[in-house]
Amino acid sequence: MNSGPMLFLGLFASMAVSWATFILAPQLQLGNLAPAKTVSVSSVPVDYPNNLPGMARLGAEVYRASGCAYCHTMQVRPATLGSDLARGWGIRRSVAQDYIFDQPVLLGTQRIGPDLANAGMRMDATAMLTRLWDPRILQDDSVMPSYRYLFDVRRIGRAPSSNALVTPRQFAAPEGWEIIPRTPALALAAWMSNSRQDKYLFEAPPPAPAAGTNAPGTNAAPAGAIHAPAK
Amino acid sequence: MNAIDAPEQRAAQVSSAELKASGSVPILLLFASAAVWLLPAWLLALVCSLKFHIPGLLAAEPMLSYGRLRAASDTALLYGFGVPAALATCLWLLCRQGRARLAAPAVAAVGAVFWNFAVAGGLWGILRGAGTGYEAFEIPRALAPILLLSYILIGLCGIITFHHRQAGPLYPAQWFVLGAIFWFAWIFSTAAMLLLWEPARGVLQASVNWWYENNLGTVFLGFAGLAPIFYFIPKLTGRPLHSRYLAAFAFWLLALFGSSGGMPDGAPLPSWMIGVSVAGTVLTLIPILAVGLNLYLTARDTPSTVDASPSLGFFWAGLIFWIIAGAQQVAGALPGVGSLTNFTWFGVAQRDLFRCGFFAMTMFGAAYYIVPRLADPRCNWPEGLWRAGLIKLHFWLTLAGTLIGYVSLLAAGVWQGVALDNAANPFGSVMRSTLMAIRMSTLAPLLLFIGAAVFLVNFALLLKSRGCGCRREKSSTCESPKEAA
Repeated sequence: MNSGPMLFLGLFASMAVSWATFILAPQLQLGNLAPAKTVSVSSVPVDYPNNLPGMARLGAEVYRASGCAYCHTMQVRPATLGSDLARGWGIRRSVAQDYIFDQPVLLGTQRIGPDLANAGMRMDATAMLTRLWDPRILQDDSVMPSYRYLFDVRRIGRAPSSNALVTPRQFAAPEGWEIIPRTPALALAAWMSNSRQDKYLFEAPPPAPAAGTNAPGTNAAPAGAIHAPAK
Repeated sequence: MNAIDAPEQRAAQVSSAELKASGSVPILLLFASAAVWLLPAWLLALVCSLKFHIPGLLAAEPMLSYGRLRAASDTALLYGFGVPAALATCLWLLCRQGRARLAAPAVAAVGAVFWNFAVAGGLWGILRGAGTGYEAFEIPRALAPILLLSYILIGLCGIITFHHRQAGPLYPAQWFVLGAIFWFAWIFSTAAMLLLWEPARGVLQASVNWWYENNLGTVFLGFAGLAPIFYFIPKLTGRPLHSRYLAAFAFWLLALFGSSGGMPDGAPLPSWMIGVSVAGTVLTLIPILAVGLNLYLTARDTPSTVDASPSLGFFWAGLIFWIIAGAQQVAGALPGVGSLTNFTWFGVAQRDLFRCGFFAMTMFGAAYYIVPRLADPRCNWPEGLWRAGLIKLHFWLTLAGTLIGYVSLLAAGVWQGVALDNAANPFGSVMRSTLMAIRMSTLAPLLLFIGAAVFLVNFALLLKSRGCGCRREKSSTCESPKEAA
């Protein structure tokens, strides 16, 4: 340990080990994931996932810019870890396949709010907008901040606008004013509506049937439904 | 070899005063900017924390929304304070232990200036919504190359200084310094490449981000904080380092295991990645124990002169917090524990303890030793300042802030983890029940902010002490006579 070059070589080697393990190898394994056929016992397999509509792509940028990922994760853990599935945050665990069209991919590291990987399966766009204006409208014990800057509060014109947010009286704008969601809010709502990991895959199969039933086991994927990249 | 970690024992070819003065401009610049950035870092964290008291607070102001504030606060702490303070300490240690003048101080100074402009621009960008969204890597895309280039400028000066060192065995602190300097350049360029310039596909972005965050904390900040600990604890206690071999053992294991971690259990990644990550994290326990044991045995029979240096307390506190934070990281990686504590305040408590309790504390200690010596090369000891107790005040403020934040967030995290594990407990009410602890943790950024203000005052006083207020002839117990000469 007294020679500069040897020290450098040692450091280089340990950095290279870490880099090869956590950067290079996953890149080789997952770097070219393409949509795969879903696994389903009742319907024809389809390609999953689909590319996102433009508004949802914009919404992902709003999600990034607002730092939503500091309080919300977008990853459902398997049934053996935590209560994610038992809480109804998803129908199955999240897998790498779910994220191939997302940009940026912000899985999050902390849950001050609930997981949003399947927000689209729990909320429609209106509920989403209502929560952005004031989360306590729908859930009075929410600790989430309000995101009022995503809305315009403006004087009602000749008639109330059709896209104005409807809120209970104590959360509403003053008499004669209305709350109009701005484009970022609409985009965020679109992104949330598209957050749905609702297809079963080979690596994330439907839950095993309860013991004592005659339902076919699903862990053994039927032939033809094997995870195979679409060419 | 029973190495005595005292470079003064080597023949001095470069005169002491000259050596001390060399590189004073870039190193002081880096330290000063680090000290200034602490204020916004903790002020932003304070506002962030206040949102848990009043969820409607500042709701109309996009620049002050929770997510952006937290990203900005992290960025100011890591890139405004963390990296410059680490570099300043590293450069100084390279000069001191290699008995060499800082190479190309002007280049390093230019690098420091550009770095700070980039951080300022980045902070503004994040508050305006241009952050990348990747935790601990929020600097907007356009500014990442500037950060990388300025880092390389400063780092190169360090490497060249190292190259010009006087012949002789390398000291443990030098290994850590060199490791830190290389490591950041590697991980930052990898992250910039795979997250910003040619984004990796899908979930790989998350794994690159976690890999980066883990390496930035455990290895880069870890090495940069351990280097002064390995240099100063033997020096200030007047005891030779107990075992050089144990230090080498810990160093290499930290480099190997510390760099393989950070993937949360249950993440949508191949399970081998999570397995390797858990194994690596758990194995860091060995180097953590080795470092703790080594320094404990070093200082075990320290004579009562320990109190002589204000820096020493910072280093001990930093070392203890490093051990606790490391042990907590190991505990959190264990499968049975991780399933409870992942995604809770547990991880935030650990991270804050590492950054504030270990890293910032260590940097403060280093700054209190280095800055007065650079400001006035002939000065031995800022005695007046020490008596004024401002450094003590800073120490206790930082310690109290760190501990209050740590204990309350740890309690919140454990409570949240255990309660959430039972799906019968609704999410909202569990979060509600952690609010008390989270609100208590608001004191932490407040105390740390006041501490940072005191640090800035101390810093200014130390700089002002140039040529006055120092007793040149009277060598204090912690200085070797040769250095005073």
